[in-house]
Amino acid sequence: MGTRVAVNQVLRLAVRNATISTLCPRQFGRYYRQSRWCCSSTNQATQHNQDLNPPSGIPVTELSLRSFIDMGFTESQAEQIYESLANVRRGDSAKHILPTLTALFVLGLNPSSVKKCLEKCPELYTTKEAQLQQRISNLRKMGLVEGSLQRVVAHYPRILTVPLKRVKNVVMFLKEKCLFTSQQVTDIIRDCPAVVLENLDQLEYKFQYVYFRMGVKQAEMVKCRLFRYSLDEVRCRHTFLERRGLYETPDKKGQTTIINPNLDSILNVDQDTFLAHVAQASAEEYDVFKRLAAREWQEEELQQGRTEPDSDDEDDDEDVDDDDDREAKSGYEKRRKK
Amino acid sequence: MALLWDTSLLLRKVKDLRCLTPRRHRVKEKWAATRPKLPPTRLAVHHFDATYSTQLGQLWPSVRLAMLSERKYGALLNNFSHNAVLAELKAQGCVDFISEREREVPSCLEEKSEEPSDVSMKSSDVDGEQLSLSPNIKCLVFPRGDVTRFKPARPDKNSLLGYYLMDAASLLPCLALDVQEGHSVLDLCAAPGGKTLALLQTQAIRFLCINDSSVSRTLRLRKVLHSYVPKQLLTNENLRITSFDGTKWGEIESNTFDRVLVDVPCTTDRHSLMEDDNNIFSKSRTGERRRLPQLQLELLLAGIQAACPGGEILYSTCTLSQNQNLSVVEQAIYQAREKDGIHLQVVDLRPLTRMFGNTFHFAPDLHLGEMVIPHLAANFGPIYMCKLKRLT
Repeated sequence: MGTRVAVNQVLRLAVRNATISTLCPRQFGRYYRQSRWCCSSTNQATQHNQDLNPPSGIPVTELSLRSFIDMGFTESQAEQIYESLANVRRGDSAKHILPTLTALFVLGLNPSSVKKCLEKCPELYTTKEAQLQQRISNLRKMGLVEGSLQRVVAHYPRILTVPLKRVKNVVMFLKEKCLFTSQQVTDIIRDCPAVVLENLDQLEYKFQYVYFRMGVKQAEMVKCRLFRYSLDEVRCRHTFLERRGLYETPDKKGQTTIINPNLDSILNVDQDTFLAHVAQASAEEYDVFKRLAAREWQEEELQQGRTEPDSDDEDDDEDVDDDDDREAKSGYEKRRKK
Repeated sequence: MALLWDTSLLLRKVKDLRCLTPRRHRVKEKWAATRPKLPPTRLAVHHFDATYSTQLGQLWPSVRLAMLSERKYGALLNNFSHNAVLAELKAQGCVDFISEREREVPSCLEEKSEEPSDVSMKSSDVDGEQLSLSPNIKCLVFPRGDVTRFKPARPDKNSLLGYYLMDAASLLPCLALDVQEGHSVLDLCAAPGGKTLALLQTQAIRFLCINDSSVSRTLRLRKVLHSYVPKQLLTNENLRITSFDGTKWGEIESNTFDRVLVDVPCTTDRHSLMEDDNNIFSKSRTGERRRLPQLQLELLLAGIQAACPGGEILYSTCTLSQNQNLSVVEQAIYQAREKDGIHLQVVDLRPLTRMFGNTFHFAPDLHLGEMVIPHLAANFGPIYMCKLKRLT
């Protein structure tokens, strides 16, 4: 018993030391095998402990609180992981969890980061280790070197649950349709990893809106982290400025009669700064505008979905007064996008 | 020999290559024969940007934003129809902006109110000292910042519609006209009929003359009146609908009417920015647009001549442009004095801005008349109005 405790402590120390310095996979594998040996021996002794037995009858040898603690988690962290794992209904999740955790440690994340990843993205529990390795190596091939890679995974662990094909599709789309360079694509994935899960049509519309309507080129899009923002946010702020006369779409030669505010000052500021310095408008106006614009765009989408064109009322006037005696609906529908 | 011939031919061909000739020697074969084709709404926006940015200054971006966004309507209640429209709309949150106007307490009465005497102040008296309005007009609007839309009006059991949707600011000229019991009123450019309908709602007019220069628009006006007003009130004893040229009215009927409403054709700023159809900024209508101030002046002069001495004339447009608003009124006052010997007094409409300042945004510091400017939270207007009283 005493020796077992001592061995555990040694292993724990070893693991902790190992994670602080750069980890050598082979070394860790040895520690891992040794911890497994320890686990199996301790488990036999503690099998009478009902609380630790998982309800679904998974072989206990691979799972126990001890094994998590040995990997470097604190007791409370290990308990939480164990509980959430028990909640995952799939039968084979138990087999995957240790290799998955191993892979995450190999990546260079410390135990608390790993735990945060698992919390943010419970799907990681059910991801196969082979897929995980594939996806990580794909990210490496794209140019996400050490440092960036860890940061991306720590901030957005979901990227590891996205199928390889999807990530490749998005990358191909960005390179071929949007004409970003490879370096720019890497920067996009690094700064805005959620882009891999976005609908490609939406992505294309957003890109085209910013490229053509706002006249912003690829380099600036990447620098201002455009893909972090949703289409509605971008559209709302831009249309607000455009209708106030503060933003002009460049003509075919790329010229404008006024100086457009740059994309950074439009998107990367909070609403109050945007209203005070860029738009010079009141919060009330922007609030009403958001509601009006949301309704406009919704109706536009509905109209585009319809196959037959809208029928306008016959207009035999020479001049239409401010009074509008048409029915309300068609009066409201008389709108042109500016 | 053949070789020499070939090279000379080759050289001649080379000289024709455009990329090899320096730019200064190139001949441009085709020059643009026309201006770029921009839709009339774009032309309107450029025109307004040029004129109104200096005129309105810091206010212009907000006005521009409001005019390019969806407008806000008001529901003019039809006093002749009987259905539960008022209750329904109030349940949705609408408010009658006319009855909810600010009532001002003049300073002399404030001192008296400290004493425990019962000073019954009827709000109509208070207004009467400053500005009296046409009675019985009711119009519901959604509160400030609320962008809910009105549903189309439904006919009641007499097939009259419950309310008429129009720009609430368009009612201000009708209110300012101050139609009193037994007046005869002339509406010189009446179509499509919103203001005419409002005037009929007062039920105070002895005889209403309705005119519009266009026959087709007069027909539309008739349809509107038939949908809202019961037939017994549309007889020849109560009103007359004509399609004469309004500028000739001074020759037809002069010194006749107690009240004249001159709602002239103008560049209809809001419509010009949003609709390409019937847009006065289209290239084919440039001449018409340039002649507008002259036409407006003639119409106002005709209206002045048609009014009786002591009568009041109200000039209104739906544009922000100075040379269709103030300039026209100033010119008319001058010409009426010089040519016809008619002396006019400008009636101060500032009380109107105080009364309705909680519903509309008014342009500050206009030295003649008042103007409602669009703002996104109160997206009514633009409306300009100026009231003149005929002294002789």
